[in-house]
Amino acid sequence: MNDRFEIPARLRNTSLILIVVGIAALIGGIVCLLMSHDDVARARFWLVLLHDSVFFTLITTVSIFIMAATSLAHGAWIVAYRRVTEAIGANVWLFGTIATVVMLLIVYTFRDAHGHNTIYEWVTPGNDKIILGKKAFLNPTMFTIFTIVALGLWAWFGRKFRALSLAQEKAPQNDPKIYWKVFRLAGIFLFVYALSQMSTGPWLWIMSIQPHWYSTLFSWYTFASAFVSGMSLILLWVVYLKNQGNLQLVTTEHMHDLGKFMFAFSIFWTYLWFAQYMLIWYANIPDETIYFKLRQQGPYSVIFYANFIINFVMPIIILMARPSKRNYFTITFMAMIIIFGHWLDYYQMIMPGPLGANWHINWYEIGIFMGFVGVLIFAVSRTLAKSSLVPNNQLLLKETIVHLS
Amino acid sequence: MHLKYESFVREPLVDNNKDYHQVSEDIVSPIERKPGRMWYVGFIFSVILLGFGIFSVTWSVYWGLGTWGVNRTIGWGWDITNFVWWIGIGHAGTLISAILLLFRQGWRTGVNRAAEAMTIFAVMCAGQFPIWHMGRVWDGFWVLPLPNSRGPLWPNFDSPLLWDVFAISTYFTVSLLFWYSGLVPDFALIRDRAKTKFRKMAYGIASFGWTGTAKNWQRMEALALVLAGLSTPLVLSVHTIVSFDFATSVIPGWHTTIFPPYFVAGAVFSGFAMVNTLLVITRKILHLEEYITIGHLEAMNKIIVLTGSIVGVAYLTELFIAWYSQSWGEMDAFKWRIMGPYWWSYWAMMTCNVVSPQLFWVKKLRRNIPFTFVMSIVVNIGMWFERFVIIVTSTYRDWIPGSWAYYSPEWPEVGFYLGTFGLFFTCYFLFAKYCPVVAVAEIKFVLKTSGENYKKKMERIDAMSTEDFVETVHTHHEPHHEEAAHH
Repeated sequence: MNDRFEIPARLRNTSLILIVVGIAALIGGIVCLLMSHDDVARARFWLVLLHDSVFFTLITTVSIFIMAATSLAHGAWIVAYRRVTEAIGANVWLFGTIATVVMLLIVYTFRDAHGHNTIYEWVTPGNDKIILGKKAFLNPTMFTIFTIVALGLWAWFGRKFRALSLAQEKAPQNDPKIYWKVFRLAGIFLFVYALSQMSTGPWLWIMSIQPHWYSTLFSWYTFASAFVSGMSLILLWVVYLKNQGNLQLVTTEHMHDLGKFMFAFSIFWTYLWFAQYMLIWYANIPDETIYFKLRQQGPYSVIFYANFIINFVMPIIILMARPSKRNYFTITFMAMIIIFGHWLDYYQMIMPGPLGANWHINWYEIGIFMGFVGVLIFAVSRTLAKSSLVPNNQLLLKETIVHLS
Repeated sequence: MHLKYESFVREPLVDNNKDYHQVSEDIVSPIERKPGRMWYVGFIFSVILLGFGIFSVTWSVYWGLGTWGVNRTIGWGWDITNFVWWIGIGHAGTLISAILLLFRQGWRTGVNRAAEAMTIFAVMCAGQFPIWHMGRVWDGFWVLPLPNSRGPLWPNFDSPLLWDVFAISTYFTVSLLFWYSGLVPDFALIRDRAKTKFRKMAYGIASFGWTGTAKNWQRMEALALVLAGLSTPLVLSVHTIVSFDFATSVIPGWHTTIFPPYFVAGAVFSGFAMVNTLLVITRKILHLEEYITIGHLEAMNKIIVLTGSIVGVAYLTELFIAWYSQSWGEMDAFKWRIMGPYWWSYWAMMTCNVVSPQLFWVKKLRRNIPFTFVMSIVVNIGMWFERFVIIVTSTYRDWIPGSWAYYSPEWPEVGFYLGTFGLFFTCYFLFAKYCPVVAVAEIKFVLKTSGENYKKKMERIDAMSTEDFVETVHTHHEPHHEEAAHH
């Protein structure tokens, strides 16, 4: 079957406009923030880039993760729109590169007027005994090597999964060789993912922004946040392509599955949110409560509560019923809400430490976010247009056609 | 309306040439026969163990908990270790029956019945430990808020120990309902086949007048979905709350935010190991190899390597963050864990839970039955040590070096633990004798999609082009076989 996607002019123009807005915001940011003498403004310039680049890297990598997970579980439900996950995964390299550049620039070039790195304090620890004690882990060399290796591996797997899927189209009918090769690679990817996204990555990239604070659950929490937004991102693409008349094989049954994932993992995120919050609140140890005190009381309380309402209360109420998970409008709306909600979630993980009370969600934050959305639309739509949207000769393709949610 | 089709890459869930009648015959006939000699040997041995357990508990209650090895530094010892261990084992049943049902995993049909039964027995065993640990057990009703007029002292609603009482009793109730509602149509099947009057009556009562009408089935499926929806959060909540027993404290080694999800993963890990232990033997003795296939065992082993790896990441995270915190209490707690007098328990846990399950990445080993059996026991030993490590080695060197202590169990504690094995296996032997250990109705449900003989007939569909297949599905036209078109 051949199901080609031709990029509509409207989509391409929209993505280009968004990219232009992003570039304009970046230039504006360089002029108004980076070149100013205000240390907070300069920190803000970098933090926003850090926030968006890490967030987009993590949510696009979710596509690789879900491909690996379903390959290992022989999941047929996702095959109908596997080309979407492949296209997103194949572009992880783009966001990974941006994130690496941003983070390394922060580590190596960012200093305030007193020569301190106020984003990654551990770069210039001074006499802080606790931070000095962590030196074996929190140091620029470790940070650089780990970031490049981890993001490089993610990018490689993202492109590899797509390449293998395309190769399967040319293989003899029902030839299982590539199927089992993907199966093995999926296992290796999960191993890599466990040692990066599920542990070391978020410690280095995000948790170390407040280097005194620690929580063993932190990386799993960031994973849950990224996972539910990553699934929502896949859903938005599937809905868009269906509206264009593509993806005929995708039925309400498949959409229902994605809706279930958004619902279930919104609750899973809440579970981890609650586990981390409640245990820290209950034990009331100052070393730990400092994190939530900064967020719940004072200038960030709006975001703190919005985070909980958008990411838990809304999904559980709106997505609970079966018909709402089978309604295109509801799931599309909720997917956007969830992505925005978890973007906020990452915002409140990253900003409070360095910015304190001086946080903004203003032209610069919105402009940069739009720029990243533009890049995502531009890159993913180009990849989607390069091959058939039906993964022909995939061994579970016929099962996905008769799939019931 | 719906085409029954499954890809050839999946191995059959039911081997050989089976039809509906043969399925009933294979699974129900062991119930209608006299049990073999092995059954009697095992059953009597279990009852003896149970008897010894009752003796040990009686001794402990009569003479008091001074007969145990626990002391003022290590107050929980073997008793609470065993409690958490059994509760963890109980998780597999609910995961299989609830979460795998929601995930539409066909292979659960071969193992869910035995796993659910095991869950119930494991929770029964687990419940004994906190009860008898109270010492003055005649005051045990104080954990219940009935009535709550004894003043503010107890029950303390702020205590995770009390949340445990609610969590576990809810869990037990829902699991029992789930298990029993699945048994109803199978009991009716035994009733309808019964040759003796007594059996007809007994299973008639047990099957609640099930007649197998469409309405019966519709209600039962609706109930199964509702119960699956209820028990999915329960899979997480029970062990989460057990983990709160530790993690809400300020004790290094106990207070760590990763505990809730990591306890849940560990619970599923040990539960699947126990299911494997039981099923490897059960399928052999009852000749159910065609229903509990090597593919089923392999699927379970995959979950074992997955959850074992999650637990492994959690162990390493804990260890790393203890250092990263640069808090001397945390760092010392882990130093005493790894290198103190109890070093062997930490390393036993690491070896059994993190290192050895990694062997299951190898397909040959996943499908090797003796290896699966040995590994299932290794994992359960490892998971016992995990709880021992958490409970004993986090507390034995506490804040005041003057109270540092060492702990070994006395015989009544060991006897109590052995007694719960007696209880568990007594129940399991009775279950295997009087209930179908594989869910007959559910096997029939997947038979025409996943049975080996039916899958053979699908080879023509596999050979079709995608376009032809879509055409076939849309016109509801079956190319070769009428029967498969509707259900």
